[in-house]
Amino acid sequence: MTSDGPTQDGSRELAELATSYGLRPLGERDKLSTYTRELWRRRAFVWTLASSRAYSRNQNNYLGQLWSVLNPLLLAIVYYLVFGVLLSTTAGVDNFAGFLVIGIFIFTFIGSSLQAGANSVLSNTGLVRALKFPRAVLPLSVTLAELVTLLPALGVMVVIVLFTGEPLSWQWLTLIPAVLLTQIFTSGASFILARVVVSARDLRNLIPVAIRLLRYVSGVFYSIATYVDEGVLGAIMYYQPVAVYLNLVRSALLEQFDADLTLWIAGVAWAFVLLVVGYVVFWKAEERYGRD
Amino acid sequence: MTEENAAIDDLDDAEDGIDDTGPRPVAADERRPSLIADDVHVKYRVFGGKRRAHTEPGGRLRRAFNRSQRHVGAVTEVHAVKGVSFVAHHGESIGIVGRNGAGKSTLLRALAGLIPTASGKVYVDGTSSLLGVNAALMSSLTGERNIMIGGLALGLTPQQVRDRMDSVVEFAGIGDFVDLPMSAYSSGMSARLRFAISTAAVPDVLMIDEALATGDAEFRARSQKKIEEIRGQAGTVFLVSHSAATIQRMCDRTLWLDEGRLVMDGPSDEVISAYKAAVRKRSGRR
Repeated sequence: MTSDGPTQDGSRELAELATSYGLRPLGERDKLSTYTRELWRRRAFVWTLASSRAYSRNQNNYLGQLWSVLNPLLLAIVYYLVFGVLLSTTAGVDNFAGFLVIGIFIFTFIGSSLQAGANSVLSNTGLVRALKFPRAVLPLSVTLAELVTLLPALGVMVVIVLFTGEPLSWQWLTLIPAVLLTQIFTSGASFILARVVVSARDLRNLIPVAIRLLRYVSGVFYSIATYVDEGVLGAIMYYQPVAVYLNLVRSALLEQFDADLTLWIAGVAWAFVLLVVGYVVFWKAEERYGRD
Repeated sequence: MTEENAAIDDLDDAEDGIDDTGPRPVAADERRPSLIADDVHVKYRVFGGKRRAHTEPGGRLRRAFNRSQRHVGAVTEVHAVKGVSFVAHHGESIGIVGRNGAGKSTLLRALAGLIPTASGKVYVDGTSSLLGVNAALMSSLTGERNIMIGGLALGLTPQQVRDRMDSVVEFAGIGDFVDLPMSAYSSGMSARLRFAISTAAVPDVLMIDEALATGDAEFRARSQKKIEEIRGQAGTVFLVSHSAATIQRMCDRTLWLDEGRLVMDGPSDEVISAYKAAVRKRSGRR
């Protein structure tokens, strides 16, 4: 009871004491510029966390890091058997094996990034409650870990595409900006998803459902241009971000596909708009992470 | 019930007495405050469980409904800290005692700025941090890798971590094991490594939550030295422990929490003996 009584007066007195000695109040969100500077200062932490996470994933078995190549390879074989041989969704695609491998690898990367990004704060509550750092580190590092995991898979992907008879050309270099844009997009989307999942954690259960839906509408194992008519629906399906990034990567490696300027603009726009909006949205709730 | 209230009233008197004799420092006191807690309240939500009502009234239908509420939409708000105010000074070591669930750990996390306060404010001079990088460490990675992760998590630069690597390994006393994954460590070794990493960066205000319970006697002595070192650098140390003896040995001031409220705040000897008396009284009654 005593603690409730005198606090009204004590409050002002203590606040004055704090200011007279230059003590800072805790739990106030930094300004966006300060926050960004602090995040930049922690870039080594983001990177170490990401690479360690990616590395520790394959550490506890005999083949170790070899699995980061074997896994995507086996996955590609399974999908080729199902969609190339059994179901045959190959219409309108010259090099279906190459088309499919790119679709599977890049979509798996996007899907697991979004999944990990959405859970990044909630599944690291322990870390949030133990240490002080800009929480934006978490979505950034888990999506970066997915990128690190993707790198060996990208190597496999390039080799498979070469085997399917695609000629090597300068065009292949656009693979780098295409993947980087995809990474920026998933980071931005993860900021938004992470905040949404923290404030309404039940939505966490809907994320896999949404990713499953994306997998089927984004032209992972069929060509959108062949199966969907022109018009509004076609444009939406073609210019939604996941389809854009799949097509950008395909245009880099496959001779049949070419990315026009509109596609690149769409790719850049999705990536940076989501990154900026997501970053601000995430920062707005900074002081609330770790409450539950 | 009345007995308990009486006991607490007695202690409240004791607290008032301390307040009167030792005037709250404003400007005349030469001791500089390092942390001020001002009417701190902490609430948090718990998912997946609900407290049962003591009696479940109504018919069978009502009971069935109440029961289903424990499984769907089961969210409980826990008011863990209810209005705690105190002023901590540079060079002080402060123990926090109380029963299980008294809000000690929650208060500590709020003081470190890791759990937002529901109302009230915490003011800190410099940086405050909770001792414990456990959450950042990954058991499948080597000790060396974990020292890097932990150090970066504490806000050091990669270069600073590399500079301190040897002293951390030496302080933890793990020797060659630093190149093996932490999952291969004995529990004592990993506890020592965790503590060593945690103290690689020295904050102005350090919070320790039962961290010293593990480790052998030699290590306990070394940790005590580390705490003295932090106090020597004009830092403030908070220590939460179930062991009243530990607190009496390491802290010169003690806060006693009960059900989220500050029961008593004063020199360790006085508070600990009052706390022990209350515990005896409570267990004696049972």
